[in-house]
Amino acid sequence: MINGKHPTADLLACWLGELDENAAALLEEHLFGCADCSAELEEILRIGDAIRGQMRNGGVGTVVSAAFVRRLQADGLRIRAYTLRPGESVHCTVAPEDDLVISYLHASLEGVRQLDLVFADADGGSPHRSAHIPFDAAAGVVAVVPPMALLRSLGHARKRMQLLAVAHDAERLVAEYTFDHAPYNTWA
Amino acid sequence: MTLSILARDIYARPVRYVAEEEQDDASLARRIAASDTAAEAEFCRRFAPRIRLFGRKWLRSDAAAADLVQDVLISALQKLRVGAVRDPERIASFMLSTARQMMVDSRRNAGRRDRILNAFPVDLVSVAEPESEVAPERLQHCLQALPEHERTVLVMTFYDDCPADALGKQLGLNAGHVRVIRHRGLEHLRSCMEGSQ
Repeated sequence: MINGKHPTADLLACWLGELDENAAALLEEHLFGCADCSAELEEILRIGDAIRGQMRNGGVGTVVSAAFVRRLQADGLRIRAYTLRPGESVHCTVAPEDDLVISYLHASLEGVRQLDLVFADADGGSPHRSAHIPFDAAAGVVAVVPPMALLRSLGHARKRMQLLAVAHDAERLVAEYTFDHAPYNTWA
Repeated sequence: MTLSILARDIYARPVRYVAEEEQDDASLARRIAASDTAAEAEFCRRFAPRIRLFGRKWLRSDAAAADLVQDVLISALQKLRVGAVRDPERIASFMLSTARQMMVDSRRNAGRRDRILNAFPVDLVSVAEPESEVAPERLQHCLQALPEHERTVLVMTFYDDCPADALGKQLGLNAGHVRVIRHRGLEHLRSCMEGSQ
């Protein structure tokens, strides 16, 4: 506790059930008597609720685990999924009724310490690099969720994703994937 | 001491109006016992968010938490009004134990609650609602501005209230590392939401 106030990390840990029973009970009682801490936790949860809403309506693009995708499906979200092996390409689209589109990028990730994802036009133009993406090396798959607004704004376009393993100052291409996107009304 | 002397002493003192915010919870509890309706309103305003947090944590439902807020406030005010709370200095503990009791009280039902609410003069419905929404466009912008691993951890944490150890197993990270990323991500996000980035 700092100046009678619990740090945000403690409040969130308590909320998520990460504290032991005694610490959680003490903090819970403190929350009933401390306007500052309860307001702080309420603010965090408001942000958390909004993040959940953004995820459900496709407002945020990110990398997630395969287990998390199954959780989204269990919640009833309509998910269009594409699975690609290294070097593969896929014809893809987004339908009006889709809530999310997921790309499962399979790759050999054993021994990789840092993985970066590069999203670019097929000719390498307009690259966007996400460094340090989380990944499970044993699973050997990266699940990418692009923002739905971006996908819906695309016309006919060829896009490329690359996974890069980074070690010290060197990097190597792990795998590359190509997406031939077409708007839904032209997609066969 | 005659009444006139007492009155002179009182009126000779400078009048100090105490703002509601300056009063501690125990003072409010004592004022409610003295039939102060303004104190009741302030008491509800203060404790509603705290009860709601407790309800959300244990019931995992906004609607159930809102019901709990009403039940606990009604019960507490009824006891405070008749001076049945022995130690106002420990009002926070009293409220927590009342909330716990209410939560496990299986005899509650909607019909009973409606009857009590209709008879109760304090506007408990308004205090049961959260105060403000997060601006969605701003949040979207700030989420996309985060480093990927921070965005992933925040999204996966808050989507399902996922603790660090369970999240770490999915992402191949240890729980401590997840907590560090989560904490930094939340700091970055809030800083951006406040417009300083």
